[in-house]
Amino acid sequence: MVAAESAESIVEAIQDPSWFLRYSWLIAFLPAVAAAFTFFVGKRTPGKGSVYGISALAAALVMSLGVLWTFVGGERGFYEASIPWFQIGQLHMEVGVYVDGLTAVMLVVVTSISLCVHIYSLGYMKGDVRYTWFYVVISLFTSAMLVVVLANNLFQLLVGWEVMGVCSYLLIGHWWEDPVNSGSAIKAFITTRVGDVPFMFGIFVLVFITGFTTSNIPKISEIVSSGGASVALVSAAALLLFGGSIGKSAQFPLHVWLPDAMAGPTPVSALIHAATMVAAGVYLVGRLFIVFLDADPIVLQIVAIVAGITMLGAALMAFTQDDIKRVLAYSTISQLAYMIAGMSMGPAGRTGAFFHLFTHAFFKALLFLGSGAVIHAVHSNNMSEMGGLRRRLPITFWTFLIGSLALSGVPPLAGFWSKDELLVVAEHEGHPVLFVVLLVTALLTAFYMTRAVLMTFYGEYRGHGEPHEAPRSMTGVLVALASVTVVAGFVGSPQLGAVFGDWVYFRELEEALFVPWVAVLSTLAALGGILIGYGLYRDYQARDPLRSLGGAYTLVANKFYIDDFYWKGIVRPIRDDVSSGVYWNDRHVIDGVVNGTAAFTKVLARGVNWFDEHVIDGAVNGLANIAGFTGGLLRYIQSGNVQRYAVFLFTGIVVLAVIFTKI
Amino acid sequence: MSWENSAITIATLLPLAGALVIALVPRQYDKGVRALGIVFTGAALAFAIAITFTFDYGASGLQFQLDTRWIPAIQARYHVGIDGISLPLYVLTFVLSFLCAIYTWRVVPNPGKTKAFLALMLLLETGMAGTFIAFDLILFFVFWELVLVPMYFLIGIWGSANREYAAIKFFLYTLLGSVFMLLGFLAMFFNSDIGGGVHTFDIVQLQQYAASGGFSHAFQLIVFAAVGLGFAVKVPMWPFHTWLPDAHTEAPTIGSVLLAGVMLKMGTYGFIRIALPILPYGAQKYAPWIGLLAAIAIVYAALACLAQKDLKRLIAFSSVGHMGFVMLGIATLTSIGINAAIFGMVAHGLITGMLFFCVGSLYDRYHTREIAEIGGGVMQKLPYLGGVFAFVAIASLGLPGLAGFWGEVMALLSSYSPAESLSAPLFRAFMIAGGIGTILTAGYFLWMLQRVNMGTTPEKWKTAVFADVAAIEWVSWVPLLLGIVALGLFPALLTDVTQEPVNALLGLFG
Amino acid sequence: MNQAIDYTAILPELILAGTIVLVLVVDAFLAPARKWMAMPLAFAGVVASLIATLTLIGDDRSTFGGAFVVDEFALLFKVFFLSVALLVLMVSFRYFREGRFYQGEFYFLVLTSFLGCVLMPSSRDLLMLFISLELVSAPGFVIAAFRKSDPRSNEAGIKFFLFGVLSTAVMLYGMSLIYGLTGSLNLTEIGRVLATPLPPGRETMALASILFIVAGFAFKVSAVPFQFWAPDTYEGAPVPVAAFLATASKAAGFAGLLQLMFVAFPAQYEFWTPIFAVLSILTMTIGNFVALQQRQVVRLLAYSSIAQAGYMLLPFALVSANPVINQDAFAAAVTYILIYAVMTLGAFAVVIAMAKESRGLLITDFAGLSRRAPVIAVAMTLFMVSLAGIPPLAGFWAKFLVFQVAIQRGGIGTALAIIMVLNSVVSLSYYLAVPRQMLFVDGEHEGPLASPALVTAVAVLASVAVVAVGVWPELLAHFPPLSTLVGQ
Repeated sequence: MVAAESAESIVEAIQDPSWFLRYSWLIAFLPAVAAAFTFFVGKRTPGKGSVYGISALAAALVMSLGVLWTFVGGERGFYEASIPWFQIGQLHMEVGVYVDGLTAVMLVVVTSISLCVHIYSLGYMKGDVRYTWFYVVISLFTSAMLVVVLANNLFQLLVGWEVMGVCSYLLIGHWWEDPVNSGSAIKAFITTRVGDVPFMFGIFVLVFITGFTTSNIPKISEIVSSGGASVALVSAAALLLFGGSIGKSAQFPLHVWLPDAMAGPTPVSALIHAATMVAAGVYLVGRLFIVFLDADPIVLQIVAIVAGITMLGAALMAFTQDDIKRVLAYSTISQLAYMIAGMSMGPAGRTGAFFHLFTHAFFKALLFLGSGAVIHAVHSNNMSEMGGLRRRLPITFWTFLIGSLALSGVPPLAGFWSKDELLVVAEHEGHPVLFVVLLVTALLTAFYMTRAVLMTFYGEYRGHGEPHEAPRSMTGVLVALASVTVVAGFVGSPQLGAVFGDWVYFRELEEALFVPWVAVLSTLAALGGILIGYGLYRDYQARDPLRSLGGAYTLVANKFYIDDFYWKGIVRPIRDDVSSGVYWNDRHVIDGVVNGTAAFTKVLARGVNWFDEHVIDGAVNGLANIAGFTGGLLRYIQSGNVQRYAVFLFTGIVVLAVIFTKI
Repeated sequence: MSWENSAITIATLLPLAGALVIALVPRQYDKGVRALGIVFTGAALAFAIAITFTFDYGASGLQFQLDTRWIPAIQARYHVGIDGISLPLYVLTFVLSFLCAIYTWRVVPNPGKTKAFLALMLLLETGMAGTFIAFDLILFFVFWELVLVPMYFLIGIWGSANREYAAIKFFLYTLLGSVFMLLGFLAMFFNSDIGGGVHTFDIVQLQQYAASGGFSHAFQLIVFAAVGLGFAVKVPMWPFHTWLPDAHTEAPTIGSVLLAGVMLKMGTYGFIRIALPILPYGAQKYAPWIGLLAAIAIVYAALACLAQKDLKRLIAFSSVGHMGFVMLGIATLTSIGINAAIFGMVAHGLITGMLFFCVGSLYDRYHTREIAEIGGGVMQKLPYLGGVFAFVAIASLGLPGLAGFWGEVMALLSSYSPAESLSAPLFRAFMIAGGIGTILTAGYFLWMLQRVNMGTTPEKWKTAVFADVAAIEWVSWVPLLLGIVALGLFPALLTDVTQEPVNALLGLFG
Repeated sequence: MNQAIDYTAILPELILAGTIVLVLVVDAFLAPARKWMAMPLAFAGVVASLIATLTLIGDDRSTFGGAFVVDEFALLFKVFFLSVALLVLMVSFRYFREGRFYQGEFYFLVLTSFLGCVLMPSSRDLLMLFISLELVSAPGFVIAAFRKSDPRSNEAGIKFFLFGVLSTAVMLYGMSLIYGLTGSLNLTEIGRVLATPLPPGRETMALASILFIVAGFAFKVSAVPFQFWAPDTYEGAPVPVAAFLATASKAAGFAGLLQLMFVAFPAQYEFWTPIFAVLSILTMTIGNFVALQQRQVVRLLAYSSIAQAGYMLLPFALVSANPVINQDAFAAAVTYILIYAVMTLGAFAVVIAMAKESRGLLITDFAGLSRRAPVIAVAMTLFMVSLAGIPPLAGFWAKFLVFQVAIQRGGIGTALAIIMVLNSVVSLSYYLAVPRQMLFVDGEHEGPLASPALVTAVAVLASVAVVAVGVWPELLAHFPPLSTLVGQ
């Protein structure tokens, strides 16, 4: 058990860890066991196996709350325990847990959302072709995510990280009968892989600075903070690691996969592509924050720039979406950028970012599940085929509304507090540009959410059939999440002492500030966005008023042509042209040499054969023919041809003699 | 003869005995012959397992040694032994052969001839197993070459359309490599001196002699090239790989399984066992080039895979890429790298062996390996087979928690900082190439799954009646699947075995 | 030096000679239907002679004033030749009984040839060498043309005869020159004289005469460019005769060559090793490459035997001032000859088994043999793979020993070794042509192949030997005599 000992650090190992801490590994273990059970006996158990996942997650949630409780109870230290895994060279691999306030919060977020999704899916996935399989994968995913959260070393984290990726792939492609879905799944996996490779190299760099002895995160943090590694190395590591975050958290330029990931079942979108996995990128930065802080400042600036571009761009792209889930997807990208931006603003920002991650997880999950309820009712993702659902799906409507307001940052809902905190930090730590960007994004967010709400729930119903409210299992979850959304913000509100900052902080606790004018400003931004949206979409019929923007609209509607560029400029050329070029080269150049050698040998053989038959033998027979060889030995000897033969033979030998004896 | 000094000899020769017995059984007892195949491979496997239990994992030296006279006239001895480097591959040989024998219970490819088929397979097994325990260069060479003839006939008789070309290509190409290897061995012999001007073929003694700086630098450079060529063709390293896709595509299922599962490892094993320790200077000088070829192989093979239309050929090319990772690990000349290489060999043996089983079984049903012909929907038509196939494919693209991951990642990690004598920037470039390779690898495997497994079953197969994974197939597959998971979750199963001997080996570099 | 003849020493030859006379006489009195009885008679004679030879093992005798020596080298070859004789008789039996041939004459002639073979390794003076060599060849000319009905056979015989005679003439010319120079016929004596510095003129003459003798033997062992007779003769001659020519006759040639080069002319090695290097390279390369083109089995084996002769000539090119290497080279050459003979004889046995049903003896006629005659097919596969030099078969060790000396010799040796390994890789592709037909292709013939029991027996014997030596080379590796001739 090693603490990140450093001058200003107050972080120390917990003396007498509570039962919850000592068994915190169970939190990640239980869902895995559930997945195994569901896989092997799920089909044969009543309820087709959903029971395992739900009960495991319930238990995990209880334990997570227990863990969090120790920190709510004023605990400030951390708990670390590990067992050796294997050794290769000097590198000692371990399996372990590292639990501090941040871990605790993440555990609660993941387990609670996952539990909600497990329950929600009872209704949503009812009668699905691969119902049981679905539960296997989401349980496995949850376990992997918890492994990431709990990991005390980088390789363990990497394992969880990649398993999450595969689960995401499997769930996006859950309905693989349709090539569109499997295509999106591949897109998601490959795009994140592109980020994961740098991430892996980043891990290598960090392991390298430990002299290839360990990948233990506290140890690494200690070495870095004690200046045990050159700034260049640390910066390299930070940038490479950030590559992983860009991939997983769908930041520009690797954001393209997340909207397509909406091809998966909606509960999956809520769990993986809104609340948890995509937040892992943010978590990674926060967990290895020391690496980013001690790196060259340019690194954090790069982070900030990426975040800025992403949040604005994504928010804009959300404008042009008709698919309600895609609206939320782009919103997710934009909000993740919010968190990343927070990270780029130093320790205070880190706390704010995690606070936003915390609140966002709930209301974004809520929104997704809400949209799921809508889709479940109207059998379409397109808002142009919805409308007027306000009365038909009251629970869905109200909960969705709460979620939207929270996302838009309307006080006193959760979103307001976390956004506000980030703005405050931006203002206080002196990031004017970022401050503006954040504020603008807030406005845009409020706008597109209003648009979504109006198009979905107001006006006349434009779809087919008679939509009905979702079953209890779904609405219940919505209500639960909605209520959390209402209250969750207060754990971070400065008025109430911002206890969140006591759980999640970097090195030292800091006072959460409340700057009235900033709060007012952000509220105005939110309201402004809402008003504009209301103005434009109050009486939406068929044509999206934004289309009147013309060129700008098409540009955004085509996602700034980034996807096209990737597809037409990179993927297809490599997949079709380069690959076939390489293969052609293999068949005709490399193998050509091989077969060529063989062919050459054959030709040579033919040549030698000819030489043997016509020259050597021919000389003999030739002489014979000249002599009129017609058989009959006697005539033969008489007709003195023997001399000719002798001549032939002797000349041969004389030639040799001349060559060798150098007469 | 105690257990200590006879166990590995018996285990290695049992299949040979089996081959002779099978040759004597009358042709009509077909099932009996197959049963015999299972019995003998099983018995050999039992021995191998017993060996793993009586093996001393703490030690780094040779165990189960037997060093006795064989051909005094040329000072070649029957010196066999086993250490942590040999053991995993040795056991892998018996496991795969056993599973192949079981698989054969269900199907003997056209044109039948069960006797010959199994006899050759057993002969092959002896050759492969022997290669991993031989500690005398001549003995090593004899076992090494012993695999050629059986594999030639396995491909040539039971192969598919273009089998004869593939068979002769395989034979000639690998022979061409190995004859130079033999000359290299002879050169080692005559330049060695174990006191009193006595030469030796003994690998251990040669290692010691080399460690004492016996071989001149110039000599090492030349001889490393000679023996390296032999090994490189077998691995196969780019650009000596072109025999592999043909051999794999044409070979019968178990031929491919054993070829990919074990035979390719003979090459990489040769590098680790012979080329590196006996010619350390040569190794250091050639390592950058080996690394380069490995890096090229990784990317090149992945790209080639994207262009494949034939499932088997695709997997064959993927083997080239995976062996690239192994060679990259070896080229770093670091403990991590070489351990990773051995890990990669075993993992590739399990995973790719399993992939070839899957493709073989697909072929048994669809009677085509053309991706376009199958046209997707395997998951609908054959859920279990499709599931297994998907699982193994994902394992092969290096999913953490499964066997394929550690070999690759550790190889890349080691190439981040290779041995002092090598240029770190250069190997980091190779590492980046490897990283790109992993992305492409994921790409072609997932694309393959999309085209084969997913989507809806085409009309022409809708009516076809295919049996899903048969019991006998499960029996021959489950061990591999378990192994893939076990090695992924508990890499210590392997690293604890290889760690010590690898360190000892690197000790020779001084 | 006029001492009594040591009859024990020449007992084997005496017995053989007696048998020959007996066969000739008996044949005259046998009714045509009974002519085949000559074979068992001959067989018995050879066996007797073989026994007599075996009793000599361990002795070191010499008679006719040292012209005829019985030592381990001689005994080794005698035993070998007599065993080959037995095998040749076995494979000939049915062939000549069923074909329309003069059986009795054949056995008489072939035994005479073998008498020459048996004399060869004992001959330690030029005259004896010449006599035994002619004894080997002369009957050969006749039996090569034994298929009188077939013009190709006649042409083969004539060709063989003419060039045999001419090359003999050349060789004889060389021998006479040597005698003139050294005043001795005894090889050891010649060696001693030539080792002393000669005046330049005589030096050159010595070299020239060595060249003539080498040329003569090069013809016997069918080394390029003196190989042209072999393929036609083998193809034209009755298959058993081809077998004899490819094994015993060739081995006899090498036996003589070994003695001359290692006993009489070692001093001039700097002169003649390059010649052998060139001969070896040309022979193995041309032999292999032409073999690649063959469609007919006997011609294939003929060119194979030429290529193999190239490998056997290689050790001669390695002779140097270093006696150790010379001994190893000598041993390598001898071992190679013996192993080669076994493999080739086995292969010819299989061909003879096929000869009855396929006149043309095309490679394609072997199609599907694995089903019709598994034993024969397996045996043939073994011979072919072994000839290609794949372990663990005898052929590998033959090549291995040559490689070993070559690498040990270094320099030119290494170069030759590389050329040889490349050649052996090339050779694989035509050696595999026959197994390919037997195993991969299905022939039109059905039902088991009617192979004479004796022939099958020979094939099996040979294949057993090939495998046995392959897995336990020690069988051959410790012939103590291999080097007795050298460096004494």
